[in-house]
Amino acid sequence: MDERLAEVLRDESRNTGFADSVSFPTNEQEVLSVVAECRAHGWPITVQGARTGLAAAAVPYGGHVLNCAKMNRVLGCRVDSRGRFVLTCQPGVILSEFKKAIEKKSFDVSGWSKESLLAFEQFRKAERQFFAPDPTEASATIGGMAACNASGARTFAYGSMRAHVSRVRMVLSTGQMVDVQRGQYVANGRELRLSCLPQGELTVTLPSYTMPNTKNAAGYFVQDNMDAVDLLVGSDGTLGVMTEIDCVLMAHPAFIWGVSCFFPSESVAVEFVIAVRGKVAGLVALESFDGDALQLLREQRRQGGAFSRLPAVPKDYGYCVYAELHGASEDQMLESLRVLGELVQQVGGDPRQTWVARNENDLGLLQFFRHAVPESTNLLIDRRKQVCPVITKLGTDMSVPDACLKEVVGLYRRGLAEEGLQSASWGHIGNNHIHVNLLPRDADEVARGKALYLRWAKAVVDMGGAVAAEHGIGKTKVAMLLAMYGEQHIAEMRALKRTFDPLNLLGRGNLFQAEGGETV
Amino acid sequence: MNIAVCVKQVPSSNEVRMDPVTKTMIRDGKQAVMNPYDRFAVELALQMKDRLGGRIVVFSMGIPAASRILKEALSCGADEAVLLSDRAFAGADTLATSYALHLGIRKVEERCSRFDVILCGRMAIDGDTAQIGPELAEHLGVVPITDVAELLEAETDRLVCVRTADGERQEVAATYPVLLTVHKDINQPRLPHIEGVLWAETAPLQVWSAQEVGADLSRCGLTGSPTQVVRTQVPEREQACQMWQGGAAELASRLHGLLKGEE
Ligand SMILES: Cc1cc2nc3c(=O)[nH]c(=O)nc-3n(C[C@H](O)[C@H](O)[C@H](O)COP(=O)(O)OP(=O)(O)OC[C@H]3O[C@@H](n4cnc5c(N)ncnc54)[C@H](O)[C@@H]3O)c2cc1C
Repeated sequence: MDERLAEVLRDESRNTGFADSVSFPTNEQEVLSVVAECRAHGWPITVQGARTGLAAAAVPYGGHVLNCAKMNRVLGCRVDSRGRFVLTCQPGVILSEFKKAIEKKSFDVSGWSKESLLAFEQFRKAERQFFAPDPTEASATIGGMAACNASGARTFAYGSMRAHVSRVRMVLSTGQMVDVQRGQYVANGRELRLSCLPQGELTVTLPSYTMPNTKNAAGYFVQDNMDAVDLLVGSDGTLGVMTEIDCVLMAHPAFIWGVSCFFPSESVAVEFVIAVRGKVAGLVALESFDGDALQLLREQRRQGGAFSRLPAVPKDYGYCVYAELHGASEDQMLESLRVLGELVQQVGGDPRQTWVARNENDLGLLQFFRHAVPESTNLLIDRRKQVCPVITKLGTDMSVPDACLKEVVGLYRRGLAEEGLQSASWGHIGNNHIHVNLLPRDADEVARGKALYLRWAKAVVDMGGAVAAEHGIGKTKVAMLLAMYGEQHIAEMRALKRTFDPLNLLGRGNLFQAEGGETV
Repeated sequence: MNIAVCVKQVPSSNEVRMDPVTKTMIRDGKQAVMNPYDRFAVELALQMKDRLGGRIVVFSMGIPAASRILKEALSCGADEAVLLSDRAFAGADTLATSYALHLGIRKVEERCSRFDVILCGRMAIDGDTAQIGPELAEHLGVVPITDVAELLEAETDRLVCVRTADGERQEVAATYPVLLTVHKDINQPRLPHIEGVLWAETAPLQVWSAQEVGADLSRCGLTGSPTQVVRTQVPEREQACQMWQGGAAELASRLHGLLKGEE
């Protein structure tokens, strides 16, 4: 393969694979032809979006790479039965551009149907609209987000990508297609029947496991009497190539305020999170940054450059919880802020040790602050990697039920102390979903970090949690999915995959070890 | 220390709409924010107060919705706010605006003591005139120091600051009263805390009409404005991108030619 295409061999997990060929289809017809050719030759297919994934799901290990980056058009608009605007996206539409287009109400409408144009006229006259899913990495594609069931800070209130997708159209490796609208195909218990295009039917036996009652992006989504859309979302590139995804919009909140609340310690912050859930109207996000993360920011700020714009974090601020409030009126916002302040005080914090952002400028500053945390750790790891190439950041992505927040925080702290590992933690504490980022200093710490991560995964499963809450299983967390569900359930997932993909061409090595294939 | 800060509400985006008849900007308060330069002025006042104690009064002339930016300053730690709001002020140019602001400042001074320091942003980003500060100083009869980029010392009776203009740097010392217009990036404006935001809702914010400040109506608003905007337009900018292909040597020589003006 051409060397200039080397970048399609890796993703943000920083794993690099190999492939024999790559294609950049621009429309569904081209996807069908690529898939037909791969099928004819028995070539495995790795589907890619923007390759921002953190679990190597888009990293190929042989065969063909089908990259959706050039399928980047919004194809139409409609109003659904609940009066919501729905935009049909090709999978390669980039989230940040999608959001910008929604904000400006400006799309390339060439080739849109008459109905779409009429709905679009309505959209243009309607109040400001908003697409809720907000993964931190806004260069992700809609296809990648749907395949991983991506989520973000606001998932706390609005749910993950799954909740905002109402239709998926998918090319299967058999050359057939499925076009699944929410409500159209509902399972009977654990059996799901789907019509294929242009003909045929799939009878899918859904695995028998019960999913954890937490934020979850680990393995196939299955439930009794579930909707077929929910299975396709989160399928991690293993069931088919999504060619159209219908994204549901909502009215833009009239007010968005962000509040960074600083606490003297992690334990006080955890008490705050427990106290605040369910008590504040319009609370849509609860994000956390531990003392180590704040310290990294202080150091970055001192070093200057772009980071000098960061607001200074006083030395005695030991932990930060970012709360975002959405509301319809200023009075409602003030009331929510008042309750928030009371709760800060109640748990032993100080309402004066908070930053309130109420306009786009200030919200942008707090967003910059939040994004600077992962960036700072990446810079640190890159520096260490130069000295010791095996060094890599180990970021966890696990969630537990609400009742286990204290327990899981204790688990992480004990493990870190026992192993003497450096770390910085941040994440979606409202969903008990903290990314603990282990920052190894040498090869031995990398190995011990990996072992610790696996031990944590087992403990998280015992708490009824998920081993991958938003980044998916991909190839790097296969062992964890096994720990979460066991051999029997993994075998059921394999069987499900075979129903869609009998030749096992798609996303080999994702979710479970490729049959007869090498471990990745 | 008695500190006055003048702030202005400006549109948050670059999409400024003009009234076709009066040729003035339409200010409906939608998506409005505090002029970015003024935030630095407010922060400077707060830092002086943190160090030397005292009282900060924030002033603005504008539509009733401009009380939002005054509350913003209050939430960050200002003590009082005054909004000069009256139909008679509408359509004011810089002269009429600075006239109104000076009346507000004088009226507060009647009640308390004189302001030691009056702070303004260097300019407002919607009009870009940078005239209000110097004109206000003239009305008040105090010394203006414009384009202040750094405050080196501040005592109870004098300050030393650095002003930069046209690439020059000048250290200036002044006794009070003095008026400063400040550059952006002189400091990092703080965000308010929860208590501050809630307090600002009930904090002293007075709204005064032209009559209440004893204004001469012929010097207010459109009537009192000797400058009129004849036409406004967004400057056109052209950008073009050429894609060159070829070997390294060929491209380098072509670039060399372009830089020498041969292409
Ligand atoms: C700095 C940083 C921050 C991040 N923050 C978040 C976060 O807050 N929340 C979060 O959820 N994720 C986050 N991520 C992870 C990543 O952005 C998401 O997983 C994202 O959804 C991946 O989208 P992508 O387009 O890059 O997909 P890729 O990485 O290219 O692919 C991911 C998976 O989707 C499949 N796929 C892609 N397109 C299709 C298609 N058309 N049909 C079928 N399958 C397809 C691929 O086969 C693969 O299995 C972050 C990543 C980075 C680098």
